[in-house]
Amino acid sequence: MEFGRIEREIRIDATPEVVYEVVSSPEHLREWWPDEAEFEPVVGGTGSITFGDPASPEAKVEQLTVVEADPPRRFAFRWVHDKGVVAAPDNSLLVTMDLVASDGGTLLRFTETGFRERGWEAAVLEQAYRDHSSGWDHFLPRLVTRAESLVARP
Amino acid sequence: MIDDDLWSAVGDPTRRRLLDLLLTGNGGTATTLSEQLPVTRQAVAKHLGVLDRVGLVHALPAGRERRYEVDEAQLARAVAQLTSVGESWDARLQRIKRIAERVQRDRTADTDR
Repeated sequence: MEFGRIEREIRIDATPEVVYEVVSSPEHLREWWPDEAEFEPVVGGTGSITFGDPASPEAKVEQLTVVEADPPRRFAFRWVHDKGVVAAPDNSLLVTMDLVASDGGTLLRFTETGFRERGWEAAVLEQAYRDHSSGWDHFLPRLVTRAESLVARP
Repeated sequence: MIDDDLWSAVGDPTRRRLLDLLLTGNGGTATTLSEQLPVTRQAVAKHLGVLDRVGLVHALPAGRERRYEVDEAQLARAVAQLTSVGESWDARLQRIKRIAERVQRDRTADTDR
């Protein structure tokens, strides 16, 4: 029985180059996951992602370290390690995005591992972000703003 | 609702191994389980106590010992909590897809112009 690994696969009608940009650049990360993201998307790049209003004391800040950056094939990072420590298998979760060109689009293979090593506290923490990061109440306003800016474009 | 105790009970590798052994062996006692693990009977009894407190196993008297069985419903609950972490990634991946496809459409439109 495997408790410690999440695996997903999704097909995207965009080139691996475009998908790579979306999964690795802090600007795009903010659109699909945290409210704020600051890191260099290069190997060894460290930084943070913030959930909630960064100005609020309620905001949750998590550390992130890029471990692989091989455009347009693979982007991998570790997160939830303590600030100032080197990300390692026993102190963080590893997220890997593998991109494979397929039929003019991209097959994105996602895995998140480390729940066994890092312990279930990390998974609890992951779930704690669920409500505000995956709800439509969070996403819809952004989508509308984005759509409006596209329409307004000459 | 997240149950911290339940999660930390399954967070320990020895306890997960114990659960695996109980599931495949259809239950067991501290003695029979310690024979299959590199830990003492006392240590196994302690881990079983933790699992018992969060309801992952139930003890039935068996002679001078207690025989433990997995509570499938409670185990399913623990597994469901990890599943919900997976679901939050499903939502994120759907967003990645929408964003990437939008960027692609914008770029294709720019090239066609």
